[in-house]
Amino acid sequence: MIDIRYLEPTRLEEALEILAHYGEEAHALAGGTFLALLLKNSLIAPRALVSLHRIPGLKTVAEQPGEGLRLGAMVTHREVEKNPLIRLRYPLLSQTYAQVANVRIRNQATVGGGLVDADYASDPTASLSALGARVHTWGLQGERLIPVQEFVTGHYETVLQPGELVTEVLIPPLPTQARSLYLKFRSRSSEDRPCASVAAVVALDGEGRCRDLRVVVGAVADRPQMQDELAEAVQGQRLTPELIREIAGEYAGKIRPISDLRGSAWYRERLIEVLVRRALTALVAPTASVSHGPQGEGTCE
Amino acid sequence: MKHAISLRVNGILQRLEVEPHHSLLDVLERHCGVRRRETCGIGMCGTCTVLVDGKAMSSCLVLAPLAGGTEVLTIEGLARNGRLDIVQEAFIDEMGFQCGYCTPGMVLAAHSLLRESPAPTTEEIRHYLAGNLCRCGSYEKILAAVHTAARRLAAQSTEVKKK
Amino acid sequence: MIDDRQRVTGQISYVQDLALPSMLIGKILRSPYPHARLLRIETRAAEALRGVAAVLTRNDLLNSPHIDPIYGPQIKDQPVLALDRVRFVGEPVAAVAAEDAETAALALQSIEVDYEELPAVFDPVRAAEEKAPHVHEILHQVRLGTSAYFGLRPVAGTNICHHYRLRQGDLEEGFARADLVVEATFRTPAAQHVAMEPHAVLAAFQEGGKLLVYSPTQSPFNLRDLLAEMFHLPPDRVQVLVPTLGGSYGCKLFPRVEPIAAALAWQAGRPVKIVLDRPEEFVTLNRHPAVITIRLGVTHAGSILAKKVTAYWDTGAYADCGPGVAQKGGFSSVGPYRIPHVQVDSYCVYTNLPPNGAYRGYAVTQVAWASEAMMDEAALALGLDPLEFRLKNILRDGDQFATGEILRDVHFEECLKTAARQIDWQGTGFERTATAEGRLRGKGLSVILKGMTTPSRSEALIEIDEEGVVTLHTASVEIGQGVRTALSQIAALFLGLPYASIRVPDVDTSLTPFDTRTSSSRSTDIMGRAVGLAAQDLRRQLLEIAAPRLKASPQDLTLAGGLIHVVEAPARRLSLQEVVRQAGRGTLKGRGEFANTGGLDPETGRGIASSYWHQSAAGVEVEVDPETGQVWIVGCHAAVNAGRVVNRIAAELQTEGCIVMGLGSALFEEVCFDAGQVINPNLSDYMIPSFLDIPPKLGFTLLEQPGAHPHGLGETALPVIPAAVGNAVADAMGVRIRDLPITPEKVLRALKAPPTGEAGAEEEEP
Repeated sequence: MIDIRYLEPTRLEEALEILAHYGEEAHALAGGTFLALLLKNSLIAPRALVSLHRIPGLKTVAEQPGEGLRLGAMVTHREVEKNPLIRLRYPLLSQTYAQVANVRIRNQATVGGGLVDADYASDPTASLSALGARVHTWGLQGERLIPVQEFVTGHYETVLQPGELVTEVLIPPLPTQARSLYLKFRSRSSEDRPCASVAAVVALDGEGRCRDLRVVVGAVADRPQMQDELAEAVQGQRLTPELIREIAGEYAGKIRPISDLRGSAWYRERLIEVLVRRALTALVAPTASVSHGPQGEGTCE
Repeated sequence: MKHAISLRVNGILQRLEVEPHHSLLDVLERHCGVRRRETCGIGMCGTCTVLVDGKAMSSCLVLAPLAGGTEVLTIEGLARNGRLDIVQEAFIDEMGFQCGYCTPGMVLAAHSLLRESPAPTTEEIRHYLAGNLCRCGSYEKILAAVHTAARRLAAQSTEVKKK
Repeated sequence: MIDDRQRVTGQISYVQDLALPSMLIGKILRSPYPHARLLRIETRAAEALRGVAAVLTRNDLLNSPHIDPIYGPQIKDQPVLALDRVRFVGEPVAAVAAEDAETAALALQSIEVDYEELPAVFDPVRAAEEKAPHVHEILHQVRLGTSAYFGLRPVAGTNICHHYRLRQGDLEEGFARADLVVEATFRTPAAQHVAMEPHAVLAAFQEGGKLLVYSPTQSPFNLRDLLAEMFHLPPDRVQVLVPTLGGSYGCKLFPRVEPIAAALAWQAGRPVKIVLDRPEEFVTLNRHPAVITIRLGVTHAGSILAKKVTAYWDTGAYADCGPGVAQKGGFSSVGPYRIPHVQVDSYCVYTNLPPNGAYRGYAVTQVAWASEAMMDEAALALGLDPLEFRLKNILRDGDQFATGEILRDVHFEECLKTAARQIDWQGTGFERTATAEGRLRGKGLSVILKGMTTPSRSEALIEIDEEGVVTLHTASVEIGQGVRTALSQIAALFLGLPYASIRVPDVDTSLTPFDTRTSSSRSTDIMGRAVGLAAQDLRRQLLEIAAPRLKASPQDLTLAGGLIHVVEAPARRLSLQEVVRQAGRGTLKGRGEFANTGGLDPETGRGIASSYWHQSAAGVEVEVDPETGQVWIVGCHAAVNAGRVVNRIAAELQTEGCIVMGLGSALFEEVCFDAGQVINPNLSDYMIPSFLDIPPKLGFTLLEQPGAHPHGLGETALPVIPAAVGNAVADAMGVRIRDLPITPEKVLRALKAPPTGEAGAEEEEP
């Protein structure tokens, strides 16, 4: 018989002690959308569920000058989507979170939960990677700050240890004059998860030369894909159509995409080229809005 | 191990002992006389939509203990004293349904949309309701129903202001 | 609509909401293998579980003299539970009835089954070959089910359980005289109905051995007769009750879960309810995958001389109504055209997939996908405008169809021209160059004919009691199509009553008069006529009773607003209630019956295929992204022949619903298999259209004819949609995709790799 203890610690330390006590037999519970599915299908059989809902301080949305945005692990997707500060200052985030699943899921699912699930087709993980976000974790051994692209290690796998919790996500300030875009390509219904997605951040100097470029491709492999060396190599260069084409080609050439019902590896390889090219083309266009302004639709449609 | 929660379902206080792995949908059926209609079981279709503290959620995906301390509104609680909600009336007038199976979820989702955004554009409605699936494909008439409800809501609030 | 208040307040009771005292919950153990011998089934641990009331396996079925364990609507080939072997992944092997669902699920886990795998076949063309593994060990000792209304022609020694043949003219001569011959093969995949309400059954054996079954079936009387036969009961000892359905689209046409629930109830001696979950729906019934080859011979001037169709319908492990699908798909594949030389061979083939059966559109979606594509390919090869080419060959009133029947009430041309006009069809003059975003543009047309079950029969009974309450009894089931509303509107016309005042109770086979079934968009038409006759019968009786009391003759009287009055002197009147009471005969009953007749010769396929032909056309405009292969539906218009519209808003809903479903089939719906196992059995991996998948310009025209009879509209607008989308995409790209759905990946592959000559035109020297 299934017998699960439900625990609601009111302090972080208490939660960490409970988690340490149960080890792998406890699951931390945030929004619970993914856990509910796992439980329903008997894919996990924990002895304890540890709710994080009563722990204060996990729902913070705050921006400190110079430090960037602190996003509490228990902030829901819907809050990120609607929060005026985020919409104004980190439009890539609100734009991305707004495209996750449906309103009901977004009302329930949390920032921390979404990261820990480490679903390969996650929208936010790609955008958080592009923003250079770091995951703040706590365990009885202490705290860690882990870049998102190191946090997710594979299909539904992260570096999180048993007993460790994600408490917040830290998003560094965007470079001044940064422009950002999330392109989500669905190959079936509008309700589908992405077949491929691109989260891109570009900052140009007054002369139109690239000061900063971050391009992350999501949903095509076990975790978000980026080419850091490539981004560095184009520093100081003008993002001409030729260079953009080259960058897009590099992405398509270097990533080894998966095949699933949404598209084959062959197809994804071609999509990566097109989406990276289109994202960058849109971002360097004179009409592209710089950060802190309203963003376009953000889909390919 | 059972976990004690109390919540309000359609205004009525319920003190319940729930299994942590059960869903709010299970609980509503077992203890609150609400009909269980799990259609996809994965939060994709919207048939089991309820409002938890005013927010639309898939009751099949809300673990029961998380409903502790909340106010849950189901379709059974939307009409007050036999008077239909403005959205329900609009769905009847525009015939925004065929088989009616998705209708409770659709009505509640539309209700919550109008609370967030009383005069939504067509695009807003389409995006908000996109996660509520209607296999009969009554979308055009549902859209009309939401617009009608919004129009009546506006007329109502103008009237209230006049008074 | 009747019940609209209940619909918006959550008060409709679907079968899954029902309960009986001491009811158990049933669950089904399913096969993990596509084809295997069943060796050992060990159920002792399950039986010993607390809360388990019954465990049912083949042993219970084979050892009981009370149960005939094999059933099937057209061929009796399906066991209640697997007997000696399993034939598809998901086939029911054992069933458990327990106090609650969790206990039943637990019991299933403790049942041990040993299998010995057998070779399996998953492709209908391969399965039709003589050397293919046989899905059924003893082939074609065909025992007919109660719904086999046509001659079945199995092919000995093969998996082919029905071969429909249609022969007209001299095919060889037709092709010999043709200037141009085009040929290609088209495929359509399995699709899921995804009725929001899953299959659900509540069955109970009552005192005296009477079987009571609540089921969301479209065929209450078929179900009754089938269960009566299964349990060796006279039909009147089986009572089938049908509450409102939460959608069906064909998936609830014939029995599937009912036999298991009834057998469990029999075993347990208590009522049993089974409600399938979503993944189970995907192994219960899907749409027939089809492989259709079409060869068309035409003249330079654009006349079609010859058409040869070879179609394979993958019916899965059990025939269900697959033979009927192959039959209707067979004659519908000719299309609404005058063609002197025709040969159709349509094969219903067993494979080791889950059973496939009726699906809204009933085979016409598949044949239109192939046939209407070939029309465009031929037009292209001839250099003709596809609209002109169609109009040159289209069937008109009084024309003879390939089955030999003379067609009346024919409006294909009007449908086609309307659809073309609505998408601003410009033929070859249409500017296909890219849009500002670099998208390709294209337009496409399609037109279909679709049969209605022939022969069939409907009876209706209208009662008025001494309280003046009017009740309409018909076995047409309410699926969401609004049939009860439409039928009460028809009755109300004759009785001078507001339709909402007429009660229309749920179907109960112990009270409700007979109807063939609610299918093939026949109810508004055939049952509508029966209801009209019943209402006229009741009206005649009421007027005859009232006449002497109002000192007038019946023809001087009329009914309006619940009153009978003298036409010339409205003050001389009686209420209906007074009339019934004064008659002193208790409840008055009006009866009506209507049957359509016809049938086809099993050898030639000729005769009367359909007493009325559903007719529709569609025009679709698309844009295609040449870099991603994404297709946007820019405009979509369906024109259907509606005859006379009974309930306008319901007719609109049905037509819009058809278009939406058709778009899903066109663009992304596909049940995917790996070695016979469904790999996308949920609504995250099998997508259906949402609000955002509806094109901004979705339109339709209901063509009405003066004095016409109402026609059913439940399916008519669906089969034209994928075909028209396919033609529009081919128009935009200059390359054709021949297998549904038209996914972005297929589009991109087609654009990157021009056709390999798999199909094409050959010039014939005259």
